[in-house]
Amino acid sequence: MKSQVLIARRKASNVAFVGFCWIATAIALFALAAILVSLVKEGIGGMNLHVFTMDTPAPGSPGGLRNAIVGSIMMCAIAMLIAVTIGVLAGTWLAEYAGDGKYGKVVRFVNDVLLSAPSILIGLAIYQLLVAPLHGFSGFAGSVALALLAAPVVTRTTEDVLKLQPPALREAGVALGSPLASTIRRVLWRAAQTGILTGGLLAFARISGETAPLLFTALNNQFFSWNMTKPMANLPTVIFNFALSAQDDWQRLAWAGAMIIAFAVLAINIIARTLARENRQS
Amino acid sequence: MNVQATAETYESYVERLPEGAAKLDIRNLDFYYGKSKALHGVSTGFGEKQITALIGPSGCGKSTLLRTLNRIYALYPGQRAEGEIVFDGVNILEGKQDLAALRARIGMVFQKPTPFPMSIYDNVAYGVRLYEKLGRADLDGRVEESLRKAALWDEVKDKLHTSGQGLSGGQQQRLCVARGVAVRPEVILLDEPASALDPISTAKLEETLLELKADHTIVIVTHNLGQAARISDYTGFMFLGRLIEFTTTEQLFTNPRGKRTQDYVTGRFG
Repeated sequence: MKSQVLIARRKASNVAFVGFCWIATAIALFALAAILVSLVKEGIGGMNLHVFTMDTPAPGSPGGLRNAIVGSIMMCAIAMLIAVTIGVLAGTWLAEYAGDGKYGKVVRFVNDVLLSAPSILIGLAIYQLLVAPLHGFSGFAGSVALALLAAPVVTRTTEDVLKLQPPALREAGVALGSPLASTIRRVLWRAAQTGILTGGLLAFARISGETAPLLFTALNNQFFSWNMTKPMANLPTVIFNFALSAQDDWQRLAWAGAMIIAFAVLAINIIARTLARENRQS
Repeated sequence: MNVQATAETYESYVERLPEGAAKLDIRNLDFYYGKSKALHGVSTGFGEKQITALIGPSGCGKSTLLRTLNRIYALYPGQRAEGEIVFDGVNILEGKQDLAALRARIGMVFQKPTPFPMSIYDNVAYGVRLYEKLGRADLDGRVEESLRKAALWDEVKDKLHTSGQGLSGGQQQRLCVARGVAVRPEVILLDEPASALDPISTAKLEETLLELKADHTIVIVTHNLGQAARISDYTGFMFLGRLIEFTTTEQLFTNPRGKRTQDYVTGRFG
């Protein structure tokens, strides 16, 4: 019968489709596993207490990554401070005040462009705006470049989670005689807080491994430094330099640094997902 | 008594309240969502310390009418009202109104429970803290009083500092009533407050409203004709953006004048 032929054909195409999905997933997972395995295999060798207690060494002498780890944490922290402030406010404006107006549409579009802008372009832009006029690479310039990468992510997530809140919640706040601005601050932000926090953590995960924007801004520093107005060591640039060198110790340190970043990003992602799940359940 | 047949086929049997009995007096109210007109020349009044029910088929404009009374529609650009809504001698559609202050005097409860993401206590105290600087003991007292009024106190008194979102739907809705009552508004607007509630929660909510009538003017939009008949003093029947009939609840349900009203309350349409 004709319909049986049809059903058989559908079954076959179904099996083929699911099969292709399986293969594609397997390839993606294999690539990820390969990266992780080589990272751990090579990274473990370079990992020891000195990595956290000593600064980047001269060729041939013992050393660690302390200055780079501290530099990365400081620059990322300041970048996130800037990005969250700007991103949460901009996202709130887009979700609550912009409406369908022209200005809102332009801001949203530009934010989406920034969201996918190549990070090296951001680095070059900050070089032109901050490094060249001030005649010097600095940790601050690095922070600003990283903030510029993170802010669009925070803006977008903030807008999205605020728009997910039921309109009745906003109306209920306003109906109690609370002006819209304080309803947003005291009710909507609180309702959206885990979502916003998740967005912030994902943005943090994104910038923590960025190299290109730091090459033109923070540069690098062989020594330990708290001074944000001077060039600053950071893990991605150290990995870049050490991995390309011919020194065995340097290469080992580069692997250790790569492993530190990978596991930090992994931890942040797990925290973000756990928070998101808890938010859905409550 | 103001019985008239308009030029269109919409008859209107709107009984005016006696002079001075209305807390909110509505004259010739038109409402627009952008270009589309949702209310057509509504004139009526809502009696002080009485419960007025608004009934009618979906999309007839009852919620729209309710949403003009505290000007909550002003949150959305493009929505506008024309005409007069006189509240204590002032046309609230005119001139520069302090909308936040107005809404503190005219509270609103929504169809879906909207507990804020904070503790039960903070939910109730939220509106109070906006306008009054009460000491700890006074605030505790106000929270308890409001929760008692909303018939929720006994169920939550031991867990005031747990999240308001952990309550059942019916409890959440009574929490919203308590939150609204806590700021001591003169008028309470309710937009189908029981549509998401089970019969027992609905009965509790209705009891609550009957008790609140002693201090508050109440306007309730409902799809539940039985509810309108049980709790309201006056009932308005709306159809296609027009107020077709407005009279005492008893009259409207036992002896409606309009053909459409009669069809609706007897269940022949809508």
